[in-house]
Order: sequence, then C-alpha cells, then structure tokens
Amino acid sequence: MRFDTVIIGGGLAGLICGIHLSKRGQRCAIISSGQSALHFSSGSLDLLGTLPNSEEVESPVQALTALAEQAPNHPYARFDAERFVTLANKGAELLREAGIDVIGSAEKNHYRLTPTGAMKPTWLTFGGYVHSASPEELEWKSVALFNAEGFLDFYPQFLADEMRRKGTKCNVHTFNLPELEILRQNPTEMRSANIARIFDNEATLNELANQIASRIGDEQAVLLPAFMGINSQGNLKYLMHKLNRPVAVVATLPPSVPGLQVQTLLRRYFQELGGTYMLGDTAQGYQATQDKISALYTRNHGDIALKADNYVLATGSFFSGGLVATNTEVYEPLFKVDVCYDSEREKWYDRDLFQAQGYEEFGIATTPTFNAQRAGQPIENLYAVGAALAGFNAVKQGCGAGVSILTAIEVAEQILSKM
Amino acid sequence: MTREVDVIIIGGGATGAGVARDCALRGIKSLLIERGDIATGATGRNHGLLHSGARYAVTDRESAEECIKENMILRRIASHCVEQTDGLFISLPEDGLEFQAKFIDSCRAAGIRADAIDPKEALLLEPSANPEMIGAVRVPDGAVDPFRLTTANLIDAKLNGAEVLTYHKVEDFIRNQNRIEGVVVRDMHTNELKELRAQIVVNAGGIWGHDLAAKAGVTVKMLPAKGSLLIFGHRVNNVVINRCRKPADADILVPGDTISLIGTTSSKVPFNEVDNMYVTADEVDLLLREGTKLAPSLAHTRILRAYAGVRPLVASDDDPSGRSVSRGIVLLDHATRDGLEGFITITGGKLMTYRLMAEWTTDLICKKLNIKKKCKTAELKLPGSRQKEERLSKRLHTIPTAQRESVINRHGDMVERVNMGDAAHRSLVCECEEVTVGEVKYALNELDVRNLVDLRRRTRVGMGTCQGELCACRAAGIMAEAGKYCSQRAKQDLADFLNERWKGMAPVAWGDTLRESQFTTWLYDGICGLKNEKKI
Repeated sequence: MRFDTVIIGGGLAGLICGIHLSKRGQRCAIISSGQSALHFSSGSLDLLGTLPNSEEVESPVQALTALAEQAPNHPYARFDAERFVTLANKGAELLREAGIDVIGSAEKNHYRLTPTGAMKPTWLTFGGYVHSASPEELEWKSVALFNAEGFLDFYPQFLADEMRRKGTKCNVHTFNLPELEILRQNPTEMRSANIARIFDNEATLNELANQIASRIGDEQAVLLPAFMGINSQGNLKYLMHKLNRPVAVVATLPPSVPGLQVQTLLRRYFQELGGTYMLGDTAQGYQATQDKISALYTRNHGDIALKADNYVLATGSFFSGGLVATNTEVYEPLFKVDVCYDSEREKWYDRDLFQAQGYEEFGIATTPTFNAQRAGQPIENLYAVGAALAGFNAVKQGCGAGVSILTAIEVAEQILSKM
Repeated sequence: MTREVDVIIIGGGATGAGVARDCALRGIKSLLIERGDIATGATGRNHGLLHSGARYAVTDRESAEECIKENMILRRIASHCVEQTDGLFISLPEDGLEFQAKFIDSCRAAGIRADAIDPKEALLLEPSANPEMIGAVRVPDGAVDPFRLTTANLIDAKLNGAEVLTYHKVEDFIRNQNRIEGVVVRDMHTNELKELRAQIVVNAGGIWGHDLAAKAGVTVKMLPAKGSLLIFGHRVNNVVINRCRKPADADILVPGDTISLIGTTSSKVPFNEVDNMYVTADEVDLLLREGTKLAPSLAHTRILRAYAGVRPLVASDDDPSGRSVSRGIVLLDHATRDGLEGFITITGGKLMTYRLMAEWTTDLICKKLNIKKKCKTAELKLPGSRQKEERLSKRLHTIPTAQRESVINRHGDMVERVNMGDAAHRSLVCECEEVTVGEVKYALNELDVRNLVDLRRRTRVGMGTCQGELCACRAAGIMAEAGKYCSQRAKQDLADFLNERWKGMAPVAWGDTLRESQFTTWLYDGICGLKNEKKI
C-alpha cells in the first residue's frame, strides 16, 4: 500500500496532522490502536496554563519568552510568537471545520471548572462546558446542579461548595429515570458513556427536561455531568429551550463523553478528506535504508508493507505506549529512536505525586524540525509530534493539547514544504 | 476529661487487638488506644504468611513449635482470615540437598508435618515454582490477612465490652510514685488532650514501644529492623514458596487474595526513620533478583507496589550492648523488673503468635487483678469465622458471583451486616476488587473508618491493579455524603490517599505501573485540578 504520509497514532496529534495534510491533497493513513488521551478529556484543550516556575499564565503568547528561558527544550521553544499564534489559530480553525464547537484564543486564557470545583486556565473549551473569564467567579449567581442517582463518577458537593465560595449559590438535586434502573442492574454499568447513550433517545431527554423543570426555581442556569448523549448533537440546546435558561455541563471521571465525540468528529473529517484510518491496528516493524524509513508493517496487514514518503510518530507517551520504561531504561518501542531520559531511576520521581515528576519530561529527542534521530543522526523522513516529545510536562504546565496540535501542524507543514 | 477502665492497651496492631479481645472475654474492661489506624505498624507490613514454623525449625525450635500450634488454632478460629494453601521449601542447585534432610528432621521434631516430594510433583502442585529445583518439601504454610485478623479481634472485643480509640496518641503517662495510673492522650483530629486512667497499662506499641517505655521511665531496648517487600499484580502462585536453606533475604513468596508478595530484605534503620520508610531501588532490585529464583515468571510480572515494615527486635536484658537479640515473645512485668507497678510491655514475637502473646499478657493482667478466669481465645471462633462459607454463599445467591465471593472472603459471616439488598448498594465502587457501595457503607458505619486509607484496610478499595484510580474519588464522595467529613477535607483525604498509593508505586514505577500513575496524574492533577496541601 502506497501513501504520501503514514501517521502512527490516532489521537489528537495524529488526527490533526492527518487532517492538515489531507486538506492539502496528501494521501494519508493513520494507524490507531483505538484508545487515546482524548478519552480522558477535561472538556477543554490547554495551550499553556502555568510556567515551570509555577507562575500562572494569563496570555500564552506573552508567556512564550519566559517559557523558553525556563524550559529551553520545550517544543514551544522552537516557535516565535508569530508562528505560535499562527499554529494555534490554525488548530482552532481545523477543529471548527471538523464540526467541533470551541471557544477561546491563544492571546488570553479563560478558565474551566473542574469536577472538584477548581478553576484551571485553558485555551479552547468545547461548547456547553462551564467556563469563565475569571478564576474568581462564574457567570451565574445561582445554579441548579443535577446528578443521576447512583452515579458515583461525579460528586456534586465538591462543585457546590467551591461555587458557593465564588459567590454562586448551588442547589444540588438528583434525578432518576427508568432507563437508569436498567443500567443499575449491572453493578458496573453506571458509567458516563453508558448513561450518555440513554439520552440519544429524545423521549428520555424530554423526561429529564420535565423532571428538571418540576424541581427548579429561579436559578439562572442548570448544570449537569458531561454525559448528555453520545451520538446526538444539540441535546443541551434542546434542554435550554425546554427550561428556558442556560444549561451547561461539567467534566466527569473518565471516560469523557465529549472527548469520545471529539475523537469521532476528527476521525470522520479525516476520512471525508480521503484519509485512511486503520482502527484497531498496531505498527509492528519497519524497513529502513541508511537514513530513511522505507516501509512499515502492521499487525493486521502482516507482510503487506505500508510505503510512504514520510512517517509521523504520534504515539503518545507512557500511557499510550509511545514510550516504554523498564527498570533500567526508557525507549521508543517501534523505531528505537533516541529518547531523552535520566539514567538514574530515583530521579524519575518526586515523593509527592502532586509535584512535577521527572519522567513526565522524558520523550523522543528531535531536531529543530521535529525529525527523530538515531545515535544523534536525524532520520530524514521520520517525525515525532505530540506527547511522545521530550522537554515538557503536559499536566503541570497545562500544555498537553497545545503541544499535540501545534507540533502536528508544524510537522505537516514541514512535510508539505518538501513537496 | 477523665475516664477509668481496668486496662489500657496502647497499640492497635494484632497484639493489642488480641489483648483487648482476651481481656473482654475474661470480663476485664479495657480501652485500646492507637495513634493512627489499626494494623498500620508491623502487623500490616509483612508477608501475611501463616507460618507452619518450618522456617524456624532448624534455627529456633521454640519459635517453630509456637508457630505450628498457633497455625492450627488460627485455621480454626480465624478461618475467614486464613487461606490453607500449604507451602513448599524448594532446594535449588546452588543450595544443594544437604540442608533438606536436617530440615525435615527438625520440622518433625517440632511437630510440623514435612513431606519430601519429587520436584515433578512439586511443579504439578505449584506450576510457577522454579523448574530447576532439585528437591521439595511440603509443609502446612498458609496465608493470613492481618487487616482482617486485627479487625475481627477488635469486633469481638467491642462486642464484649471493650472500647477502641483510633487516632489517639499517648503523650504522657500518669504516674503516682512507683505506679502508672493512666495515660494522657491527644486526639489527633481535634488536638484535644484527655486523661485516661486504669489499673494496668499495657505497652503493645511494637517498635514504638521503645519510646513509650522510655516515657514511662523504664528502658526496653529495641532495634528497628526494616524489611521491604514487593507486591505483584496478580496471583502468581497458589502455594507458598520458600527456599530450603537457612533463612535469608527475599526467600518467601506468599499468595494473598488477588496478588503475590515477595520478601523480605533486612536492614537496621535508625529510630527517626521508622515512621516514614521508603523502599530503595537497591532493595527492589534485590527482591526481584532473589524472587525470580523462586518463581521465574516474576521477572515479567507487573509489580504493583513496594512497602516496608519494622520488626521490633528486642535486646536481651542481660546484654546492654544490644547485640544479642531475642526473636521470641518478650513479656515484661515492669513491677518485678523495674519496680514500676501497673505497667506491662508485650513485644517481640511475630504476627503468627499474636494470640499467644495476648494470652500471656492477659494471664499476667489477671494475676495482678486477682481474676481467676481461663483464656478462651484458642477455642472461641472470631466474628466472621463462625459460619461456613458455603452456607453464606447459598443465602446470598442473588448477588453476582464475583461480588459475592469477594465480600464473603473479606468479611466471612459479618457479611450479614452488609446491605446488598438493592441495585444501588450493589453498584461497584472498586472494580479491581469488587467492592460495592454497600460494603463501603458497612465499613464506614461499623469498622472505625476515619479516612480513605482506613477504608482500604477494611475493604481492599484501591488495592487492585489500578491502585485507586477511580474508586478513590468514588469512595471519597460516599464518605463525604455519609457525613464523615466536609468536601474540603474529602479532597485533602483524596490527595493523601493517592500519595499513600504513590509512595508504594514510585519505587517500582516502570512498565504498566508507570502508565497507571501517569494516568492518575492526568486525572487528578490535570482534569480534576486536585491539590495536595500537605508537605511530603
């Protein structure tokens, strides 16, 4: 099989890279094992929330110089402010083209409300999620918060208490529906994605609207866990119309229903643009000549080689299998390209789980143009993007999605510029 | 605030709990004080091996005899805490077979069944054992759950009139001339000081008994010996595997519930480390290296976590240098030894002999209080072990099998106190260990649970392969809902729980264990924005 570019990894970085290339006429294939970090989405995409020195970031663009000083190996350190904004805006544009409703800008962070009631700076938030321009207050002075009875992956009291501290009165309610009774019969079924499915049925959604309507008073808005339908769009609009006030959602414990939806929309858009998405497949081997990759082999395709001019590693970090740690080393399992890590195991960790962990910054070492290397020698047609890259802490710096999107587009443009 | 009881027991390990039960069964009013949660010292930080005594047969006949006697008693009185797995002592080529003959003779002399079997037969019995073995001996080893055992002793003690105060630390002793008349304790949650009085105070503080004795004005010289262990992600073996040689490091592999445990290392540590021990990379490497000799598949089995306990080794009274160490039970009547009335120290020994230690202690208490009642703890079964599992299982036939077996396994006949009547109570909090909402609520209501880590010790929430990823948050919600604490404290408790898990994971955080903790970080730090306000 012959492609222009083969991308290994079907998460946010792989899909964005594939979409950008396909739009410019490339024949692309994405090899995806299935799950990606999008399945654990917070409902927002972060660009840069905190500097390594713990200073909170108001404007990602303006913080770029300080970031490059504090973390010279950060992937962003390769972009100047202009390039950074161009890439970020391009990313937001691609998401919107794929049908994903997002708000926010690279010039100024806004804040997302987390499931424990904290406010975290972020870049783009999916439509319908509670968010605010300020970390100190919410848009409404009073809200009604509804949870499904017996749904343990969302604890409303955390939110209610924190909202009260921010001056928003929050009345907590639970609702029950006949469809939930059925789920409850199996002790493991009361999870977000299963509950979301019942709201694909309009009658159920309508019953929920009626229940909420009978319980609320003059609260300015209604909040729900983010499980309002999986194959259906516009459920929140329907509720807003019925309840005659804003209806918004807050993230639950995984799986993230909106994350699953975003992944589906991106994949669909990639396929509409002519891309080949190999779901449930895994890259297993390759052929190389001197300094180039010439073919790739996957589990499902056996000895049928996938040949391309360029290859992109968008395989994620440890969790996704893009990096593997043993008790003596950290390596990239497919091509065994160079990886930056500390050889002393005790330096990988901090004793406090909530401090920056050394291992988070381990990753694939690349050239300024994101080419992967072996023994310090660049591989001309192999690139790395996203969470697999070295030099940043996605959680502590609040930059995971941003690194994925910006490096994916940057690499796509590198590839296009060679044509 | 002053209260008076017959006996105050300091220490909520197996020994303290055993003394509380023994006293209660003999009609003596006791109050047990524990500065943290129950079973947090050496009790909860060992192999969970139900020794047959074979390990000590060659080197320490007295301990071996005590072990096999208590082994048989625990099988009877604590059946829901015990797994009758049997054990193998395998000889590897590097060990030779010389030790084996002596080993078998010594076992038999101590009253321990010990049958030499063909290595091929041993492999059929335990397929994970090293196939290179040149000899094997089968002995009646088993597994015992120390948390369950301690809990069951305390449930029975309380049912018979004892009181238990967890999270209360002894700050001082109330002393009147040459007599201890009570203790001053600090409530660790409210910081309030309370005076508690009793005719006798028992020091069952394990390694912390060293400092307690000093506070009371007497010297009990102890030597803290650190022992590290590794927990593997699944049950590699069903039979305990030991090395047939003189006791050494990392030569016991014990199955327990859903996991297997290898241990231990052994090293002296200073007293200032005993409250917060970390397992080092060297210890992990040693445990792995030796462990794979017992069961080669350990080399590619996921390690869930590492932890360490402190054995309270007691220096013999006649050796002030502390070099000569007694490994047996040490019962000190400070009245005869130091001229201090009303104070007893019980230490040394091991988890296996906790009941015997309690019996000796209570005998001494009875003598002092002039009470003539016989010990009944060897005959009376513990709560949880009073009904056959098959019968319980039949009664709960409507509960899904995995849940039913897990909850019966954990609580025995106390399962009747667990509400699983409706779907909401059968909903799972912890999927790895099949812990339901009903079981969590039972533990919160009846088993002295103050935080998520306590809850884990009672129910296994967060002990499975995910190490508390989602279940921790769910359980924190249920605890806050039950009024155990406010949502603010629930969040710090959640952070504490995750850090407690991380402490065990960090020494072995590579492979899947690293993946899991990366996910935990994404989830709690990233998505939830949870913060830890405590310094680690």
